[in-house]
Amino acid sequence: MTTMKNVLSAAILLLLAACGSEDTTNSSTVDGGDATRPRVALVMKSLANEFFVNMANGAEAHQAANSDQYELLVNGIRNESDLAQQVSLVDQMISSGVQAIVIAPADSKALVPALARAVAAGIVVINIDNRLEPEVLAEYELRIPFIGPSNREGAKLVGDYALQDLDSGSEVAILEGIPSAFNSIQRRTGFEDAVAQAGMKVVTLQSGDWDQTKAAQLTSAILSQFPELDVILAANDNMALGAASAVGLAALDHKVTIAGFDNITAIHPLIESGAVVATVDQFGDQLAIFGIEYALEVVANGTVLQDRETPLELITAASLQAN
Amino acid sequence: MLRKLNLVFEELFIFIALLLLVMFFGVMAENFFTAGTLTAILTQLPALTVVTIGMTLVLISGGIDLSVGSVVALSAGVIGIAFTVFELPLIIAAALGIVAGGCAGLVNGVLGSYFRLPVFIVTLGMLEAGRGLAYMVTDSQTVYIGASIQSLSLPISGIGLSPSFLVSLGLVVLAQYALTRTVFGRYLIAIGTNEQAAKISGIRTEPYLTWVLVISGLLAGLGGLMNAAYLGASDPNAALGLELSAIAAAVIGGTSLMGGRGSIVGAFIGVLIISVLQNGLAQLGVSEPVKRVITGLVIILAVLLDRWRSR
Repeated sequence: MTTMKNVLSAAILLLLAACGSEDTTNSSTVDGGDATRPRVALVMKSLANEFFVNMANGAEAHQAANSDQYELLVNGIRNESDLAQQVSLVDQMISSGVQAIVIAPADSKALVPALARAVAAGIVVINIDNRLEPEVLAEYELRIPFIGPSNREGAKLVGDYALQDLDSGSEVAILEGIPSAFNSIQRRTGFEDAVAQAGMKVVTLQSGDWDQTKAAQLTSAILSQFPELDVILAANDNMALGAASAVGLAALDHKVTIAGFDNITAIHPLIESGAVVATVDQFGDQLAIFGIEYALEVVANGTVLQDRETPLELITAASLQAN
Repeated sequence: MLRKLNLVFEELFIFIALLLLVMFFGVMAENFFTAGTLTAILTQLPALTVVTIGMTLVLISGGIDLSVGSVVALSAGVIGIAFTVFELPLIIAAALGIVAGGCAGLVNGVLGSYFRLPVFIVTLGMLEAGRGLAYMVTDSQTVYIGASIQSLSLPISGIGLSPSFLVSLGLVVLAQYALTRTVFGRYLIAIGTNEQAAKISGIRTEPYLTWVLVISGLLAGLGGLMNAAYLGASDPNAALGLELSAIAAAVIGGTSLMGGRGSIVGAFIGVLIISVLQNGLAQLGVSEPVKRVITGLVIILAVLLDRWRSR
């Protein structure tokens, strides 16, 4: 009986360990096989996040449709701030001999040395999602093109729309993401641009850590402090959802205009009901594809490396109805 | 009689800490003493309260449950999907979520007591697995549920308190009663104080150690329902790190991490301290780094106060 228990416990521990290690690399090869096609590695952030899951799914679908063109390796890290793991992923990709790496860096500075090693090994590196810091790139004398939308312009776009019909004395609150993240800084700056242009005032700027519950709690506190608040600009849709639920629970006597960013599915009912006025779609499922296509172009023709901006679209009740 | 007096005194001390904190924010933030602030705080704390009740019981028994945050997310995900995709009635969806939490707790409990695996590691495994399952169930997407579930978080007209809050308050009373006035509670304290001695004196410890983790799982499942009700949506990333807030609340309230000592009422005051702190700091609008430093200091000070008292 005791041996039985010991064996079982050992098996469970092994299983746990196996899950742990599998989780940490989160790797899947789509279509192995012949060596004539270029091999492209897609190195993502957390594959537990809807945004990156869509991005990876988009890339895999694209590869399936173009399987004669290239091979794809998709890797993600366990949590978005696990830099060390992403650095080791890049090194693994270098040693596995891929022709191109398309990366959504977990950090805009810390990944540069690893990517410099990749470039030195003759690999084409394309930056998507989170832009690498230009100064650090310059330090390593690297040219890594960034393919992606301008988060700042996206935030300005949705901010302008949310503020357009409001009184110039309106009070605005901004919910930013993790304060050190590049995307968060860009979106916050875009919101601030829109508020400044509308001649309004940001009464409070706080970090909801991209998190729905945290944003809801912050919003209720902000509403107690600023009962006359008119606008909440949230740096992602999860925080907009949280803000909307807190506004709903607060049962105010005036309307609070809420805007988000990312266009996740769960925000649609709120946009239709008017609880949230707008969000921005940066075509997340296409972002990796843009990067891959560009990488293939460079591998095939040695195109000159240049940044490329990808499209943004404002999503409102009207545009949801049109679809 | 003496012991009872002592208990009241213990909680009184931490209650004074809470009052000091409230007074501090009352002076610092101009709109802190408003009905809005009170409602905001009471609306947001039920999930943390019920999870903390479970955590406190587990800590008293000498264990720990690191999986509660993930189980909250799993339960919320099950509820969201059952209600929106399978279109089950809300009450059944809610029951499924709570049962999912109970199952996670049962696995923790059986592995921890009958298989003698360290509870710390088993629940750490469940923290991982539960979060993974939450992502699987929801396909890593936030599930919008809507107004029907939010009514649990809305104040009942006339009382001004939400059903979620009333349930969590009722559970605080019930758990405090169970801990101090029932055989189950006495045995938990005995096992937590010295498991070997409890065994020698004839207590079969395994069922109690299993049950306490099942209760913690069920309460985390209920926490998932409350979180989904608060948000009107199921967020697979919900309650990241909630286990640490629950442990902090329990310890602030006088529960020993070594087992054998603790109070549910104290833990509830711990939850109030954490919620008041969160709300007050947001109202002051201090920056994120400052918020974190202050939160950390308050937790440490509260425990320091508790130790100073117990000398």
